[in-house]
Amino acid sequence: MCHDMIEIEKMGKPAVPIVSGRFTDDAKASSKAFGMPDLQFVVVPRIYRNLADDLCVSQTEEVIDDLIQTLTSEGKDVSVIEQQESVIRFEGEDRYDAVLKMNKEFTLKDWSDALPIYPPTEEKVRELISGTSLPADHVVCDMPPGFGLATVEKIAINAAMAGAKAEHMPIIIAAVKCLSEMGSHGGKSLLMSTSPHAPILMVNGPIAKEVGLNPGSALGPGRDNEINITIGRAFYLCLKNIGMWYPNKMDMDTIGTTRKFIHCVAENEEMSPWPSYSEDRGFSKTDSTVSIFITDGELDVQDQGNTSADGLLKTLAYGITFGNTTLGASHAEGHQRLIFMPPDVAGPVGGEGFSKQDAKDFIHSHANTSLGKMIQYMPINDARVDERWNWLKDKTEEERLAIEVPLLHSSSNIDIVVVGADRAKTLVFPSGPTAATVGIDQYK
Amino acid sequence: MDLLSVLNPVAQQRGMMNIIKPNQRPSTLEGATVGLVWSGTHGGDLALNRAGEMIQERFSNVSVNFYTGGNYPSPPHIVKQAAEECDVVIGATAD
Repeated sequence: MCHDMIEIEKMGKPAVPIVSGRFTDDAKASSKAFGMPDLQFVVVPRIYRNLADDLCVSQTEEVIDDLIQTLTSEGKDVSVIEQQESVIRFEGEDRYDAVLKMNKEFTLKDWSDALPIYPPTEEKVRELISGTSLPADHVVCDMPPGFGLATVEKIAINAAMAGAKAEHMPIIIAAVKCLSEMGSHGGKSLLMSTSPHAPILMVNGPIAKEVGLNPGSALGPGRDNEINITIGRAFYLCLKNIGMWYPNKMDMDTIGTTRKFIHCVAENEEMSPWPSYSEDRGFSKTDSTVSIFITDGELDVQDQGNTSADGLLKTLAYGITFGNTTLGASHAEGHQRLIFMPPDVAGPVGGEGFSKQDAKDFIHSHANTSLGKMIQYMPINDARVDERWNWLKDKTEEERLAIEVPLLHSSSNIDIVVVGADRAKTLVFPSGPTAATVGIDQYK
Repeated sequence: MDLLSVLNPVAQQRGMMNIIKPNQRPSTLEGATVGLVWSGTHGGDLALNRAGEMIQERFSNVSVNFYTGGNYPSPPHIVKQAAEECDVVIGATAD
């Protein structure tokens, strides 16, 4: 709403949002991101959406004086242009003590993930910048959601904090660029949502093997995933300190998710029976690419003995059938499923002659569920319910529950990436909107 | 003693490079047209409508226009319409 109010201010009219308490810092951060740090707003204690009607009214009545004053009197110029010092110094009894002090300060400022970071010394940052032919001051993009200027140097500083090496830089730069190409919904609104939407990076092409990305048991802690973790962490720190994705400012999760310790995986191209994900998107097998998916949860769909394509894909189709369908007019095509399919599923399916598209079509046609269950999350009379659903208003709850519909609008809402070690354990993510993919080689 | 120098990881924000100030406010809402922009989320409409009512109770000749695009951000034509038709606008972040 701050965005809309700022747009109206830009058109010459005073505009004031009523902001719920927990969103005060979000309003300030959004105002900066959209170029009006002095946007005036009024604060009510509670979030309206899940509040009883009488409380919605009463908490508004309590701030009416503030609201009128904000509409009729000039606000104080509250914005102070903070001059960021480019070099920060820490004095310690020895280097170890200085590093501890740096970590304490960076965590306090919320510049890290609260785990120890590597010192981004000028020497280390220069070393990382040597991993790309781009100059240090080159602006790769304005990184959402806060639209910080993603210079090569700032990317390198954050990558250094994550412990990245020079050879990782082209992937990290491409990933930063990739997020900026996701559009305002996936690249901005979902990241700022109260639901735990989190990016996951996926690399295709020769660079994956060159840098040692693990395409097997690729998610999770430990030695085997050192590179996956490091590149994902570097991207996270960029998203935080360049994209301004700070918790409770521009990341408003209700509970949060460990998926925000962002990971990077490689597709297991050697074990896949199909062209890679990036080949599906028009890149060649020799191109290295990074794709970003926005995920909203994850579920292990296990198979305990099916070996045929029919059996394996039915297990998968039934396993991915959970969650909501969109009742609103916008983002109607947005609900998707990202499927990290292990070789023990992809292999037998491909071996029976199923193309990747055939597999998607099969899954889509067998993933059906109760419409009533999928729309329970939003009252049918809510203003955001699109008019195409009007016919549902005459149905009883029992009738709505009895209506079986496809989980997704089409098979194009399913992405399959072959990832994993031996065993038919598929990892499924509610996801969307459509992923973005960017070539990495241009950043070498 | 040891002195550790590190580089600042925080980027400059595009929005802060060309700051726009809020518009001058009217001294009163007498005779004003007040726009209410609703994102479509539960409760925000109740809040906005009550705010509109209370402004009408306190000031004479106030018109209230209600706008919604059913989601947020609002569609650009809704934002433009509210800006063109109203003297002041109120929005509610219901999320």
